[in-house]
Amino acid sequence: MCSGWNWVVHCLYLFLNICSFEVSGGLVQSCGHIIPESPVLALGSNFTALCILNESCLDFGNIYASQIIWKIKNKVVPKEQYREINRTVSSVTFNDTSSLATPLTCNVLADGQIEQNIYGISVTVGLPPEKPKNLSCIVYQVSKLTYPMKCTWNPGRHTFLDTHFRLKYRWSRESFPDCIPKYVNNSCTISDVQFFVNLEVWVEAANALGKAESDRLVFDPIEIVKPLPPHNLSVNSGILPTVLKLSWENRISAAVMKLKFNIRYRISSDTNWMQVPPEDIASPRTSFSIQGLRPYTEYVFSIRCMKEDGVGFWSDWSEEKVGVTTEDKPSKGPTIWRTIDASPSPAFWTVRLMWKALEPFEANGVILQYEVTVRAKPPLSHPPWRYNVTTTSLTLKLPNGTYEVTLIAHNRVGASPPSFLLIPASNSKAPVKNIRTLPKDGKLWVGWTAPNSVLKYVVEWCLMSNSSNCITEWQIEPGNIQGTYLKGDIKPFKCYLITVYPLYADGQGSGQSVKAYLQQDRPSKGPTVQTKKVGKAEAVLTWNHLTVDEQNGFIRSYTILYKTVDGNETAVSVDPSKTEYTLSSLTSDTLYTVRMMAYTDEGGRSGPDFTFTTQKFGRGEIEAIVVPVCLAFLLIVLLGVLFCFNKRDLIKKHIWPNVPDPSKSNIAQWSPQVPAKHNFSSKDQMYPEGSFTDVSVVEIEADDKKSFSEQDLKPFDLLKKEKSTSEGHSSGIGGSSCMSSPRQSVSDSDEGESTQNTSSTVQYSTVVLNGYRDQTPVQVFSRSESTQPLLDSEERSEDHAGGSDGMTQRQRYFKQNCGQDETKADRPFFERAKQIVPANEEDLAGFAQLQISGQSSQPLGFELEENTQEAALPDVLQASTEGQTVRPETVEGNLPSVDEMPKSYLPQTVRQGGYMPQ
Amino acid sequence: MAAADTPSASLRHHDLCSRGIRLARKMRSDVTDLLDIYVEQQGLDASISVAAVEGVPAAAAERWAEQTGTQRLLDNLAAYRAFRVLLAQMLEEQREQLGDANGELGPALAAVLLQVSAFAYHLEELLELESRRTPAEEGSEPPAPPRLSLFEQKLRGLGVLRELAQWAVRSVRDLRQLAKHGPGSSAALGLADSQ
Repeated sequence: MCSGWNWVVHCLYLFLNICSFEVSGGLVQSCGHIIPESPVLALGSNFTALCILNESCLDFGNIYASQIIWKIKNKVVPKEQYREINRTVSSVTFNDTSSLATPLTCNVLADGQIEQNIYGISVTVGLPPEKPKNLSCIVYQVSKLTYPMKCTWNPGRHTFLDTHFRLKYRWSRESFPDCIPKYVNNSCTISDVQFFVNLEVWVEAANALGKAESDRLVFDPIEIVKPLPPHNLSVNSGILPTVLKLSWENRISAAVMKLKFNIRYRISSDTNWMQVPPEDIASPRTSFSIQGLRPYTEYVFSIRCMKEDGVGFWSDWSEEKVGVTTEDKPSKGPTIWRTIDASPSPAFWTVRLMWKALEPFEANGVILQYEVTVRAKPPLSHPPWRYNVTTTSLTLKLPNGTYEVTLIAHNRVGASPPSFLLIPASNSKAPVKNIRTLPKDGKLWVGWTAPNSVLKYVVEWCLMSNSSNCITEWQIEPGNIQGTYLKGDIKPFKCYLITVYPLYADGQGSGQSVKAYLQQDRPSKGPTVQTKKVGKAEAVLTWNHLTVDEQNGFIRSYTILYKTVDGNETAVSVDPSKTEYTLSSLTSDTLYTVRMMAYTDEGGRSGPDFTFTTQKFGRGEIEAIVVPVCLAFLLIVLLGVLFCFNKRDLIKKHIWPNVPDPSKSNIAQWSPQVPAKHNFSSKDQMYPEGSFTDVSVVEIEADDKKSFSEQDLKPFDLLKKEKSTSEGHSSGIGGSSCMSSPRQSVSDSDEGESTQNTSSTVQYSTVVLNGYRDQTPVQVFSRSESTQPLLDSEERSEDHAGGSDGMTQRQRYFKQNCGQDETKADRPFFERAKQIVPANEEDLAGFAQLQISGQSSQPLGFELEENTQEAALPDVLQASTEGQTVRPETVEGNLPSVDEMPKSYLPQTVRQGGYMPQ
Repeated sequence: MAAADTPSASLRHHDLCSRGIRLARKMRSDVTDLLDIYVEQQGLDASISVAAVEGVPAAAAERWAEQTGTQRLLDNLAAYRAFRVLLAQMLEEQREQLGDANGELGPALAAVLLQVSAFAYHLEELLELESRRTPAEEGSEPPAPPRLSLFEQKLRGLGVLRELAQWAVRSVRDLRQLAKHGPGSSAALGLADSQ
């Protein structure tokens, strides 16, 4: 960058000179120049430049030194830095060259105004070179005869100038050409050096501001050689299975230097290198036998070298070479263990012998087979069983007893020492005690308190999981220890069941188990809680234990958290063995949210929320309230009935006031016939004299009745009564012209034609009875002369019920009321009734009444009767409370006491205005 | 002599002898290799016999064992100075013949020349330790060799290299003798050693 800038400055300078030449040389003579010309200045030093004007210009252009202006680039230098030496020379001084820039120009103001350039120079500012430091050299061997030497140094600070470095070297009496670095300034390589002659080496740095030399190094290049590593390595198996012979070629002549070596080797599957002791290979050689290797193992070798006396540098490591040692017989027998399944028959065991494949360093080759020998004890009981297997397990069915198992592994070279396992008839020896576990260094340690004279221990463990069976793993430990690490892939957050068996020379102790985690975590979920029973102030909660896969650790406690919608959360700690808990002191009829947390040593996790509502009443509370209330109600009713019974006369007096006897009215004579002709004795009883107050009487042909036999009539006695009542009612209603519905009269009749409009035949008529209570009932009709039709509502009702021929039907009804219809078979009643059904419920009630009256002998009629009775109760209540006259029949039908009928009926007439007490 | 008695001078003498021996060995090794290259490159037969070349000092000495140390050094120095001139001349001839494309012969020759120079330097150092003035070289310019044919040049070069190989062996033995007896043992002690 610096050199680029200098180049630009130089170009500018040339341009200025050329311009000056063209102007002055060609046409105008140059008027002056600057001294020094293009100086190279040390950074931070002071500098003075002089501008000298030509004499010719003084005369020609009246230009003097006092008019000179110095400029750096386009910036005028302050006049304080000027000094007019004489009338042709002006100087400018800079105390610090760092303020300088290129170009520095000398200018004049011609005619006092026009600025003209006289001359310009370029200024280069930089630093002298520093003394190169840390010079060091190394001779790299690149071939058998070529030894270039590379020297490096620290060039020092940046000088801002073109600085040249030279590596100089010489013998004391002979110099060599300098080594000039290419592209760099801190290293240079001498292509070839001569050994065994001291070489003096130094670095020289030079630029326009000076020169500097490094300290001088004097050395024999043979002392700084980094040789090439040996090559063509080969590995040969020795006679012994623990020896390999490594051979190589050196690439540096012994005449140049004697070498010592380093040999490293490792098992192929291992990354750690081992080294042959350096003192064993500290002398020149081209081969070495490495001993103490494992049989049937693949090794990787590598070698390096350096000058024998250790002066110089180690070579790089050579390429790696692989060698395999030969096989040897197995160094030890496989460890063996068993599982015993006593089912299905305790007399025979299913013994599964299992053993661990030997590690490669124990197998010392390829295991071809295992030889298993099972001997019963005492030995005379059965000859030994022998098996040759290639797998690592063997399942046998043996009679219950004591056995000794011997296991031998075979490879190509030979057999291993035997391994023994005693299978006693029972584990009668002392077990281990105080078994405990401890996670340590990412492994699980299990310890125990040992009984005496234990031969060895078997540690069994298995991963407990819901999703898979407990697959047992095991290891054998010597009898002199009281703890060991589990040798297997022990996973964190998993529960392991660990069992320790002590093995004795003459038996075995029973296994002691413990559960353990390598590392615990919070449970993966919380228990799902629900209510088993909810009361007013308590709730019984139940939950299931978390599965072992969900626990992730030992569940130390459960915490039940419950709260109301707007209340604080309450926590209850529960023993982890429990699966049920009763929350008490709850508020009745309140929604509670409850959840449950399970805690391990590492923390807890909450299960889902569950909501329940406590009951409003506790157990028996409702009964405690309802029963007394009912009893009280019944008592009140009973008392009321008794009171009414006792005061019935008084009640009657208040309810039925005295009514004038209509028989004494003149209008009574208007009646064409005397109703007494109708032999309604029962009706007379039912409506004693004076009980009618306002009755419309319909003319009925008494003779028609004669067409019925007495027997036929009997079933209609009740009907007759009803009809009479109905007539009375309807008359009354008709009289009142408001509540009475002709249909009620019709209901007494057999057919739909009975739905005659009363108003059409009996115009507003009033029946005035003579007596009330003690008066003789004389039925007199008082006919109104009004021809005003019945209220529209009644007419419409009639229209709906009877259709367009309502009047005709009515007339027919009056004619046939006690005639043919009653003599006909029972069935038409039903048919007719069916026709009436669409009218309204009141019609149905009337129909039911007819059933009771006329069809009591019929099964269907009986059924209907029952229905009617069922429906009658609400009607009774309705009638008694509201005084409706709509269903007097029903009341009548349900209440056999005819005396009661008027009580419920007559007051209604009074209320409806059809009757005014007189 | 006084300087040679000091321990540092003794050490330096020993060091110079030791490194001189190794240099001579290396030179012997390199010259052997160079001979193979030379014979191959010049198209000569390795078994060809070359008569004694004029100007090449002979390594064989009639009463070698009786020589003093200084004498040995002087003989060696004279020989290697001569070899230096001869090898430089050979190198020049090789450049003239083959130009820059002379393969590995030129560098190998240059390397051997350098070693010859280095060994001469060793000898001069040892002579200085013996407090002997190093004899000046006989003129800066070697006498102009007679104009030889190309084949004669090749044969002469072969003779030079063979003799140099012989001298390398002799030099090792000479320096061993010097190293055994230390500095100042310039008297004729070779008799016992030669037994």
